[in-house]
Amino acid sequence: MILNLKNTFAQIGDVTLFAKRFFKEVFIPPYEAKEFLKQCYIIGYKSLPLVAITGFIMGLVLTLQSRPTLVKFGAESWLPGMVALSLIREIAPVITALICAGKISSGIGAELGSMKVTEQIDAMEVSAINPYNYLVVTRILACTLMVPLLVFFADAVGILGGYVGINIHGDVNFYRFLTQIIQSLGFLDLFPATIKTFFFGFFIGMIGCYKGFNAANGTESVGKAANSAVVTASLTIFIIDMVAVQITDLFF
Amino acid sequence: MEKKSEYTWKLGMFVSIGLLLFIVAIYFIGKQKNLFGSTFHISSQFKTVSGLEVGNNVRFSGINVGTVEEIKLINDSSVVVRLVMKEDVREFIKTDARASIGSDGLMGDKVLTISPGVKSTKIIEDNGQIASVDGIEMQDIMKSVKKSVDNVGVISDELAIFSHSMNNGNGALARLVRDENMANSVSKTLSNLETGTKGFSDNMEAAKSNFLLKGYYKKKAKEKEKKQEEIKEKKEEQKEKEAKEKEAKEKALKEQKEKEEKQKEEAKKAQAEKEKKN
Amino acid sequence: MIKEKEHTEPKSEDTNQGPIIEIIDLHKTFGEDNTILKGVNLTVNKGEDLVILGRSGSGKSVTIKCIVGLIEPDQGEIKVFGENILNLSKEELNEMRVKIGFLFQSGALYDSMSVRENLSFTLRAHKRDLSEEEVESEVIEALESVGLGDAIDKMPSELSGGMRKRIGLARTLILKPEIILYDEPTTGLDTITSREISELILDIKNKQKTASIIITHDMACAKMTADRIMVLKDGVIHAEGTYEELEKDEDEWVRSFFE
Repeated sequence: MILNLKNTFAQIGDVTLFAKRFFKEVFIPPYEAKEFLKQCYIIGYKSLPLVAITGFIMGLVLTLQSRPTLVKFGAESWLPGMVALSLIREIAPVITALICAGKISSGIGAELGSMKVTEQIDAMEVSAINPYNYLVVTRILACTLMVPLLVFFADAVGILGGYVGINIHGDVNFYRFLTQIIQSLGFLDLFPATIKTFFFGFFIGMIGCYKGFNAANGTESVGKAANSAVVTASLTIFIIDMVAVQITDLFF
Repeated sequence: MEKKSEYTWKLGMFVSIGLLLFIVAIYFIGKQKNLFGSTFHISSQFKTVSGLEVGNNVRFSGINVGTVEEIKLINDSSVVVRLVMKEDVREFIKTDARASIGSDGLMGDKVLTISPGVKSTKIIEDNGQIASVDGIEMQDIMKSVKKSVDNVGVISDELAIFSHSMNNGNGALARLVRDENMANSVSKTLSNLETGTKGFSDNMEAAKSNFLLKGYYKKKAKEKEKKQEEIKEKKEEQKEKEAKEKEAKEKALKEQKEKEEKQKEEAKKAQAEKEKKN
Repeated sequence: MIKEKEHTEPKSEDTNQGPIIEIIDLHKTFGEDNTILKGVNLTVNKGEDLVILGRSGSGKSVTIKCIVGLIEPDQGEIKVFGENILNLSKEELNEMRVKIGFLFQSGALYDSMSVRENLSFTLRAHKRDLSEEEVESEVIEALESVGLGDAIDKMPSELSGGMRKRIGLARTLILKPEIILYDEPTTGLDTITSREISELILDIKNKQKTASIIITHDMACAKMTADRIMVLKDGVIHAEGTYEELEKDEDEWVRSFFE
């Protein structure tokens, strides 16, 4: 039990050092621009369909689920605003982050894990290429920047889903729908949620890289690295979310 | 290198659209909050702002034209509210416009409404100040409702006593209401009186034409007019009261009617007595 | 085009200069009590192929990984070109690593890159000012020196084990190292391919005058490539000599390799 606890803390310490190394190395040349762009493409563009589908469904379902309650209070006209608010503030960031944890974090974990196992990381090391710089910094940076973008897409598609959801029961003009949404939104709804997503992205990338980079030798550890990357990243997302919401609540 | 261009344009598209979505969102929210486009400021002083908050809408003729920018307490009984409004409505807001605070629906936000003035034709300046109308507080409404309910209570008590004595008492009025003989004799007395008064009035006409008594009668006629006017006013007041109390319970209404009856009867009685005296 | 070299028997070139690699009293323990190296001493001279023989787990790989700084020994000195690599800063170590080629067991090609990118990536990391054409010509040259000029546009997953190793070798050669460390170059390959790889090693040595350490338990490969052989047993050098010398060795453990 105590040993377990000690191991957990040792791992947290290890992750912290790993993250610290990122902040140190992100400013040190060489800047692997090409690899960075490639990772942006893989992490951002390639995840878009998945994120869009989830976003659309969340928007649609949220609308259909909140509708009966609002109708009971005769506040049906608040539906667009409410759906947009919950999407932008909470649901789109968290769902997108979870999807990315599943897709990106595990992908990175498996990729770096297999590179580690097949000595590719060692091969970089011995050809005097800094594998941390080339593999980790680019991926974490790409994740940090692409996840917020994905969240914007999820927001937009989710709102579209909400529009479809509203039109299942009623008939609301799209322009009127958008006006209602914009009326109910403030910068305080958009900015804290956006800042939060940068942290989500950073941790998704960081945890995937950490797990992969520190995979043990042997093929089995690749699967373990991928699996534990997803689990840890998902948990971390919820923890960050809680902290972020508390901080937002405190200041505004 | 061909492989590079294969994905870079997709990545570029992805990033541009993502950023565009964000910028559009910022633009529209900002527009909603009047951040962009030309605006002007006005302020108004209130005793109380009834929970108005920074960011609430400002309405003019029912249109959202701006938002509340700042709410500042300047001393223990006055609050200055600063508004930011769209430049294009400035020409319609004159210096004598008034601001009032109301609420948007039953549970909705507070809104600040600007009502146009009547006389002034001068357009308000940037950073100008307009007068305010103190909004009706829920508390005040409750207070006035309570007052009238209390009054109704007192009235109904008295009415109860009155109607009891009417039904069971042996006073002149009670007998007048209940006893048929009494009513008949009263009506006889009245007709006798009529004939009597006719003679009397002839005498009086003669007296009026007498120049010595002319001044006295003129005075009397004037007083009579005045009295009639006063009665009219009273009646109007009563009508207003009625309207207010319509909201109160049915019972109160009923009692009100009874009260009127009583008043009418009293008036009748008074008249009768007056005529008797005469 | 390179394969017709004659099967040179182990030869003793003049190696008057000081050793290129000198390992003194190397110790390494993994975990609590998993001691792998218990005082390894070895030297490699210029232009010499040293073969290290040993069973699995005897510490061969650990030894050469210590030389490139992938594993940090607990105790001992590793001098490469006269400098103790354990005292070098990160930057100095990286400079040193450019001079040392390392061929991994599996070839360790970067899976996500094509063969061309595997080579050009390594080259570019060190020579950033090269033009596209220069990089391309160096890549082709390195690939042709291992006889795989036509595999340039393939992905590592499309290559056979022998090809992967050769591409791995080409990737090592593109930096023109002065020392090449081979980690079991013929393991997992059929006899013919093994022989081709051995010939390639020999060829590189003759052409580029590199010194090498070859870790193997393939006696055919050792016989072809070795100038000198060391036998590693339980973390120490058990025997040392040329192929012929060791073949006649009386020690039973050494003899077991030759049977």
